[in-house]
Amino acid sequence: MNQADLSKLVSALRIAVKPKPRRFSCPEGPAGRLEKLRATVTALVKYERIELNHPRAEEAQGYAERLISDAIRNGDCHKHTMEMADYWLNEKQLVHKLFKVLAPRYQNYNSSFTRLVLGPKTYPGYYVGTAILELKGNPFPALQPETHNYHYWLHNVLLEEAKKEFRSARQDRNAGTTESVTAES
Amino acid sequence: MLRRAVLQTFRQGLAQSFFKRNAVSLSETTVTHQPIETSNEADEKSVSKQKPGDESGNTVVVAPPEFRFMYPEFLPDPAMERRNRLKEKLERIDMLQRRSVVEIPEFYTGSVMAVTVADANSPNKFARFVGICIQRGGSGLRAWFILRNVVDKQGVEILYEMYCPLIQKIEVLRLERRLDESLLYLRDALPEYSTFPLDMEPERRLNNSVVPINPLKVKLRPRPWLERWERQNLQGVEDLNLPQRFYDKAEKVAKPWEKYDLMLQYRKTIPAEEQEKIFADVHSQLQQQEFKRKIRRQHSALNDSHMVRVGRDANPNQTRISGSIVPSCMLSSAGDMTFRLETYHY
Repeated sequence: MNQADLSKLVSALRIAVKPKPRRFSCPEGPAGRLEKLRATVTALVKYERIELNHPRAEEAQGYAERLISDAIRNGDCHKHTMEMADYWLNEKQLVHKLFKVLAPRYQNYNSSFTRLVLGPKTYPGYYVGTAILELKGNPFPALQPETHNYHYWLHNVLLEEAKKEFRSARQDRNAGTTESVTAES
Repeated sequence: MLRRAVLQTFRQGLAQSFFKRNAVSLSETTVTHQPIETSNEADEKSVSKQKPGDESGNTVVVAPPEFRFMYPEFLPDPAMERRNRLKEKLERIDMLQRRSVVEIPEFYTGSVMAVTVADANSPNKFARFVGICIQRGGSGLRAWFILRNVVDKQGVEILYEMYCPLIQKIEVLRLERRLDESLLYLRDALPEYSTFPLDMEPERRLNNSVVPINPLKVKLRPRPWLERWERQNLQGVEDLNLPQRFYDKAEKVAKPWEKYDLMLQYRKTIPAEEQEKIFADVHSQLQQQEFKRKIRRQHSALNDSHMVRVGRDANPNQTRISGSIVPSCMLSSAGDMTFRLETYHY
């Protein structure tokens, strides 16, 4: 049983965080893992929607969410947050983008800041498949169509009323025929 | 706007969003209480906040931010596989129940403490040990701390479980902090740094609001040591004066990227929103207990003075033992201490 580390205050992430991190094979070993993820996170912040392999996408999602949540919680005058932003974003103009564009955009979000959508698994190829990692609120058209069917849309309201009318009319008809039958008998 | 209105119907959600909105403004105030390592973090006022009422009109009390340093054992083990909200809630209830019986004061690594334990085998039925707290750990009812002292040139460490029913009294004789969170290097340090008189009196602090940080740098004995101290980035140790090859190897073996590993940090911590919830829950009860103890102390002081006036001899050296002696049939099997003797070489 260990005590929680108290030195940093972190915001809760709104993505599913797995208990153990994934390892990535690289020539530099464990040091190279963060280098790879750095490149991914930089690309995500730069392009706002990237297509890559699923395992790297999941790991990078966690780091991107942490970076953005720290930027929102602490702001750019916080020394540690600025150090992290400086490390994780290879291009320095993206540090400005993080604090000036992304932090205000996600200020009042109650959901996660990124979205991970599974992509095609082309055969032959990498078995685990691809994924598309994007920042929410990006200017591109949506990846997945909205499949909601709200009851308050006009055509749904009209259909509901039509159904009710049909049912009540059918009930009246049935009542009429049964009465006539009972009257005859 | 609609979304925010929906959120505000929930009291806790409001408290959280209020705290989050004010987090940046709070960090601008000056720090009095934090250790050197967290000077960038949480520069907040050390005052219990009474939030203005939410829409339902109830006041929302939030614990002061330094609660997480004063009562770290209330936070659960961060390992995700072992989290169980119900278990943690029940444990907190039990911890508060125990604290209402025995006063467990605020202490840190580096504080000198005295612990009195019920011991069936000793002539007084109690065993008292004084030592410096070199490490504390565990969460919930299993929270422990290790006290170290040198008795008759023999180094002795005792691990006490804070919520063990055998413990009768915990006194903090000197409340202070050191430059490191773990003082295990005292095992390899010169004995005078770990020696404290067994009849040490509690020291009074001049300034009650700030816990002082003792900037003492300890001198180590010559090698061999129990651990490779040069690899641990210790602040409270004097220059180790080792040959360069030790430092070269330490650099080779070091993992400097872990400092930037955001997910590693996340998996080791409890998120701030959860911490606030836990301490808000616990804060009011702890305050009530503190208040009752103060009243009891005032009453006992009045009674003592009354007894002196009447002429009965009140022995001022008699220590009052809060909490009862638990009969052996009720002792928990988990409440054992481990006794570690250390061979002392010159």
